[in-house]
Amino acid sequence: MKSYKQLKSERKRVAVVGTGQTKFEARTPQKTYYELALEAAMKAMNDAGVTPENIESVVYGIYNDLFERQIMPDTYVHDYLGMYGKAGIRITTGGATGGYAFRSGYSEVASGLSDVTMVIGVEKAQDCYDWAQGKTTPEVIKSIAYSADMTWEFPLGTSAASSYAILASAHMDKYGTTEEEAAMVSVKNHGNAMNNPFAQSPMKITVDDVLQSRMISYPFKMLDCSLYTEGAYALILMSEEKTREMEVNNPVWVMGIGSSNDKSFTGSRTVNDRMGRYGDIADLRNHYESAAQAYRMSGIQDPRKVIDLAELHDAFSFTEIQAYEAMGFCERGKGGKFIRDGVPMMDGDLPVSPSGGLLGAGHAVGATGVMQIGEVVNQLRNNAGKRQVEIRNGIGLAHSIGGPGSSYCSVSVLGVD
Amino acid sequence: MKTSTEKARETARKELKSAPLESVIDGIISEKLNLDPSVLEHEKYFEIPDKMVMFYKYSYGEQSRFFSELMNHAELYGSKCKKCGIVHFPPRAICSECYGETQWKKVSNVGTVLSSTTSWYATSEFFDKVPYAVGYVKPIDAETGMLQRIDLRGREKVDPGAKVIARFKEDRKGVVSDFWYEVVE
Ligand SMILES: [Zn+2]
Repeated sequence: MKSYKQLKSERKRVAVVGTGQTKFEARTPQKTYYELALEAAMKAMNDAGVTPENIESVVYGIYNDLFERQIMPDTYVHDYLGMYGKAGIRITTGGATGGYAFRSGYSEVASGLSDVTMVIGVEKAQDCYDWAQGKTTPEVIKSIAYSADMTWEFPLGTSAASSYAILASAHMDKYGTTEEEAAMVSVKNHGNAMNNPFAQSPMKITVDDVLQSRMISYPFKMLDCSLYTEGAYALILMSEEKTREMEVNNPVWVMGIGSSNDKSFTGSRTVNDRMGRYGDIADLRNHYESAAQAYRMSGIQDPRKVIDLAELHDAFSFTEIQAYEAMGFCERGKGGKFIRDGVPMMDGDLPVSPSGGLLGAGHAVGATGVMQIGEVVNQLRNNAGKRQVEIRNGIGLAHSIGGPGSSYCSVSVLGVD
Repeated sequence: MKTSTEKARETARKELKSAPLESVIDGIISEKLNLDPSVLEHEKYFEIPDKMVMFYKYSYGEQSRFFSELMNHAELYGSKCKKCGIVHFPPRAICSECYGETQWKKVSNVGTVLSSTTSWYATSEFFDKVPYAVGYVKPIDAETGMLQRIDLRGREKVDPGAKVIARFKEDRKGVVSDFWYEVVE
C-alpha cells in the first residue's frame, strides 16, 4: 500500500471534485432507476464543472437485482447516461455497495486507467410488492433475505434485521450496551436529518419514542431501523494531474481506503483464525481491520483527535455504537458511553452523521455509501448548509457496511489541504 | 430428413405449457385489483403489476452427507479438519482455516447459543410464526456454530450462553429446517 504522504509527494492523489444527488424518498414512482441515476449524474457533473465527454469510466453501485427487477441494471443506466463507448462496471456488496463502488472508482483513477471517473449509486428499493398482503415492506424484506445463504440460513426465516440484531445482542451481552444508548443514536440521526433537505425521515423524537416503538427483531425496535429508500447519488473522481489541468479549486483528496470482508457464516467467527483477535461475534473484526488499513494509508495515529466528522453506517442504531469502537473513536466496549458523553452530537467533539445517516436520510442501498462519502466531501468543502460542522483539521471519514453479519466493510478517509 | 425448423416445431410441441404457480400469482393479483383498482396509479405515472418466478433443482455437493444423515437418521454431522483439528459445524470438505482435508464427525445434539434474536416481523412466508427466535448455536463438541431456530416456548428471548438441545421433525425432507433447538431447562 502506498501512503497518502507518498502519493502526495508524487502528485498521484485522487480527488473528489463533484457531488450530486436526488432527494431520498420512500418511493419515487415518477422516475425509473435510470432516470434517478441521470438526475444525480447531471448534478454531479455540473458541480464538478465537467461534461459527459470528460468522463472516462463509470462505476455503478446497485445492490439488488430483485429490487430493480433487472439483471445487469447498470448496463441500462450506462445507456441512459449516454456513456456508451466508455468502460462501465457494477459493484454489488450489500449495504456496503456504495463504499465498495467508491473503492473501485478510486482504483480506476489511482491505477491511471482513467483520469476522470464517475461513481453512481442508485436503488429503487420499493417496487417489490406483496400482492397477497397488499403491502410493500414484506416483499422488500424478502428480496433482501435472499442475500442470506440460501441453503443454510434463508429457510430459517432470517432477515437483514435479524442478522444485525444477533450482532447487537452479542455486543449487549459482552459489554452491557443498552437499548437506551442505541435509542440515543436514533434520536440524534433523525434529528440531524431535519437540516438535510434531501433526507427521507427528518424527525424530532425522544429516547422513549424509540424504546416504545414496535419491536422488529430484538433488540431492534422500529425506530432503531433505517427505512428503505429510493434515490441516487453521484461523485466525480479525478486524478491530481487532471485537477491542475482543469483548475479545480476545491478538490477533496482521498487520503485512505481500507476494506475487509469477514466470514459471512457468522457462526464460524468463533474460531481464533488468521484475523487473530476477538474470537466471537460481538466485535466486528472487519470494521477494525478496515479502519486500521485506512488509517495506515492516511498516516492517522489518533483518529479521535484529528477527524472532524464521520458518517457511520447506521442501518440499525446499535451498529453505529459498534462502529464508534471499531473506528477507534473510543475504547472497545465503550461505544454506549461515547454517545452518552455527547461526543458524536452535532455540537460534540466528533459529530457523527450530520446528514442524518441511514436512519434520518434514508437507506437507498447502493446509493447510501456514496451519499455518506458525498456528505463528508461537502462538509470538508464547508458546503453543507445548515448542518455544517466545524472543520478544524480538514479530515473526515465515511464507513460503509453490509452483507450477512456485516461481512462487508469499507472505510474511506478524505481530506483537504 | 427433417429440416431445422421442423425439428424446432417438434420440440416446441413436447414442451410443457406454462407452470401453474404463475397462474396462481396472476389470480391473486387480479383478485386484489378487482377489489381495489386504485392500488395501481395510472394518471400521474403509469403503474403495472409484475412478478419474477424461478424454479430450481440443486445439489448439496460435498455437504450432501449432512442432509442425508439429518433426513434419514436425525443426526447432526460436522467435519473435523485432519490438519488443524477444528470441528466445523456446518461441515466443510476442505478447512477454510488451513486448507486441510476434513472427515465427517457426528456432533452432539447439545449446544450453546452464541447469540440470538427474536423476530417480531417477517416476510409473508414466516409471518404466522412470529415471534420466533433464530440464533447461532455451537454444538458442545464443535468449534463453530450454525444458524438455527430456537423454540421460545413462552419466552421473549434466548440469551447468549443458553444451553440448547436439537429436536427433529418427524417428516424430514433433507433441508436445514428439518431440525431446531430447544432451551434445556
Ligand atoms: Zn484446518
